Amino acid sequence: MAIEDMYGRSDEEYYNGGYDDEYEDDYDHDPEPESDDDLSCGKAPSCRVIRKESLLAAQKEDLQRVVDLLSLKVHHARTLLIHYQWDVDKVFAIFVERGKEKLYAEAGVTLEEKAEKPASDPSIEVTCEICFEDFPAEQTTLMECDHRFCNDCWTEYFIVKINDGKSRRITCMAQKCKTICDEGKIRDLVTAKDPNLAEKFNRFILESYIEDNKRVKWCPSVPHCGNAIRVEDDEYCEVECACGKQFCFNCLCELHAPCSCVMWDLWLKKCDDEAPTVTWLSEKTKHCPKCHKIVEKDGGCNLVQCICGQPFCWLCGEATGLEHTWNSISGHTCGRYKESHLKSEDSVEDYWRLTHYYRRYKAHIDSLKIEASESKPKILDKVCSLEAKEFLQLKDFSWAMSGFYRLALSRRVVANSYPFAYHYFGDLFANEITKEERGIKQNLFEDQQQQLETNIERLSMFLEEPFANYPEDKLMETRMKIITLSTVTDDLCKKLYECIDSDLLVPLQQTTHTIARYRSKGVEKASEL
Amino acid sequence: MQASRARLFKEYKEVQREKTADPDIQLVCDDSNIFKWTALIKGPSETPYDGGVFQLAFSVPEQYPLQPPQVRFLTKIFHPNVHFKTGEICLDILKNAWSPAWTLQSVCRAIIALMAHPEPDSPLNCDSGNLLRSGDIRGFQSMARMYTRLAAMPKKG
Ligand SMILES: [Zn+2]
Ligand SMILES: [Zn+2]
Ligand SMILES: [Zn+2]
Ligand SMILES: [Zn+2]
Ligand SMILES: [Zn+2]
Ligand SMILES: [Zn+2]
Ligand SMILES: [Zn+2]
Repeated sequence: MAIEDMYGRSDEEYYNGGYDDEYEDDYDHDPEPESDDDLSCGKAPSCRVIRKESLLAAQKEDLQRVVDLLSLKVHHARTLLIHYQWDVDKVFAIFVERGKEKLYAEAGVTLEEKAEKPASDPSIEVTCEICFEDFPAEQTTLMECDHRFCNDCWTEYFIVKINDGKSRRITCMAQKCKTICDEGKIRDLVTAKDPNLAEKFNRFILESYIEDNKRVKWCPSVPHCGNAIRVEDDEYCEVECACGKQFCFNCLCELHAPCSCVMWDLWLKKCDDEAPTVTWLSEKTKHCPKCHKIVEKDGGCNLVQCICGQPFCWLCGEATGLEHTWNSISGHTCGRYKESHLKSEDSVEDYWRLTHYYRRYKAHIDSLKIEASESKPKILDKVCSLEAKEFLQLKDFSWAMSGFYRLALSRRVVANSYPFAYHYFGDLFANEITKEERGIKQNLFEDQQQQLETNIERLSMFLEEPFANYPEDKLMETRMKIITLSTVTDDLCKKLYECIDSDLLVPLQQTTHTIARYRSKGVEKASEL
Repeated sequence: MQASRARLFKEYKEVQREKTADPDIQLVCDDSNIFKWTALIKGPSETPYDGGVFQLAFSVPEQYPLQPPQVRFLTKIFHPNVHFKTGEICLDILKNAWSPAWTLQSVCRAIIALMAHPEPDSPLNCDSGNLLRSGDIRGFQSMARMYTRLAAMPKKG
C-alpha cells in the first residue's frame, strides 16, 4: 500500500501530464505498430549474418555487378573488389571518372589484350629467369602480364606468399610488375604441391570479403561462432549475430549507446572491472614511514598524517614535520611537492568524478544482471500461473515479458548514459564548450536522465510485485502500470538520445562521436542471407 | 637451401661470363661462402658521387630468392636513403617490393639508380634528407661530393 501510494503520487511528476490518457488509450485497443522507421527497417533488414556456407553467396552479388558492368572475368572482378575494399560504388565511380585503364592498373588487373598466344610448341625450351634453368614451355606458366616462369619457381613463391598471409594480393614475380596473379593458376599450381595450403588459399580469398570490407565484420563472439555480419548502410549500429552475441558494429565492443565508440574506449581504459579499487588503493593509501600502517589520503593536501602522529610527504613518502604551505613543507625539499600539488588536486577531482559516474553506471549494470538472472525467471513463473487461471477479461499476459524487455533495454541506455556524461561534461570538449554552456547542457541532460532513471526503477518495482496472486481488478491495475511505464520509459530513452544528439553533440559539429540510433525494439537481429 | 645455392651459383657463372657487360659493377663472391658477396659500384656521372667507387656488402638469406638479400654500403656515403653510420639502404625492392626476379646484379643497378635519384621523403640520413627537402641542393651536393672525395676515391700520393 505504502509503495503504491508513493508511486501513485509521483505520477504527475514523471508522466509529464497528458501521457496517462494517451497511453492508456493506445493500449486499450490493440497495441499499435510502433513508429514509422521501425516499420521500414522491419521490411528491409539492415544487417545480415554471413556464415561459412553463405560466404560465397554473400559476395556473388557484388562480383556479378562488377562482372556485368565491365564485362570481366570473375577473378578480375575479385581482384578489383579486393583492391577497392569491396566498395562497388567506388569501383564504378573510378571507372566513370578516371577510366578503365587507371581503374585496372591501380588494382593490378592486366587483361590479355591478345587472345592467349597460340600455344607455342610445348617442347620448346624456355629459360626461367628466376632459377636460370631451361624448361619445356609446358612446365612453365604464363601470367596475364606476359611474364613466364617455371612452375616450380611460381609454386615456391606462391607458398611463401600464402604463408605470409598475402593470399589476397599476390603480385607477379617479375621485377616491378604489379599484376595480381590469376587465382585459378595459383590454385592449380599450389594444389599440385600442397592441397591443404591450396584449401587455405581458397578460404583466404573468400574471406577477403570480410577482412577487406568496411561493411562486413567478424562476429566478436568468444569462442568464435564463425559468422560475420554485414550492414547495409550505417556502420554505426548495434547488431545481434545469429549466435546471440550483441555488439556495436563499429567498434565490436559490447553495446554502449548512447555513449560514442571513442568515449566508450576511453571509459574502458579508465575503469575496467577492478580499476576503481585499484586506483583507490594505489592513489588513496600509502604506508606510514614510521609505523608502516596504511594511511589513507582524503583531500588535496599532500602532507598527510598517520594516526600514530607521524606526518609525511605523500609524494615521496618521506617523514616530515607538520609545518607546511600549499607549496612546500618546511625543511623538506623533495622537489615534488610544489610541482604536483596542483596536478594532484586535479587528479583527486577527476578521481571523484570518475567514482561518481562509475558507481551509477555499475549500479545499473548490476541491476541489469540481477534482473536477467533472477527477475526474469520469476516473471515467467508468474505468467505461467496466471495463464493457468480463469479471468473474466484478461487472457493475454505478454505485457509482463514486454515490460521486462523494456526494463532491460532502458537499463542499458541509462547505464551507458553515465560514461557519456563523464566524458561530455568532463575534459573531452573543454575547448569546444564554455563552462556556462556546459552547465546549462548538464542540467538539461541530467533532467532527462533522472526522469528515465525514476521510471525505470518504478517499472522494475511493478514487475517485482507478486501480481500472480492478485484479484483481477488489482491485476488490471498492475498491468496498466507496467504497460504505461514501458511506454513512458521507451519514450524517455528516445528523448535522452535526442537530447544527446541534437542538444549536445550536433552543436559541436564533430564527426568523431556518432551514436547508434535508438531502436525501440532493441538491437537488430541480423537476418539470414 | 639447395635452391638458393643453385641460384647463386648460376648468378656467379653469369657474372663471370658477362664481366665486361656492365663496367660500372664488379660483383665478387666470397671465396668460402656463396652467401656473402661484395660489389664495387661506380658513382653515376652527373651526380656528386661521380668519380667515386663504392663498396657494397651482400648477405644472402637461405630463402633467397624468395627473400631479398641484405645490402649495405661499406664505403661512407652522404645520401638521404643511406644510413650514414651503418650504411643501411632504404630501398623498396630490398623490402616489400622485392621479387625473386631481381638478381644481385640488378640490385646493384637499382642502387646506382637510387644514388642518382634520391628519395628525400624516406630518409635514413636525416641531415641530407633535410637539406634536399628544404631545397638546399647546393648544400647537399657539396656535402655529398666532399664525402665522395674523402671516402670513395683512391688517395693521391
Ligand atoms: Zn624457375
Ligand atoms: Zn608480370
Ligand atoms: Zn556470432
Ligand atoms: Zn562502438
Ligand atoms: Zn604511523
Ligand atoms: Zn595542507
Ligand atoms: Zn617529499
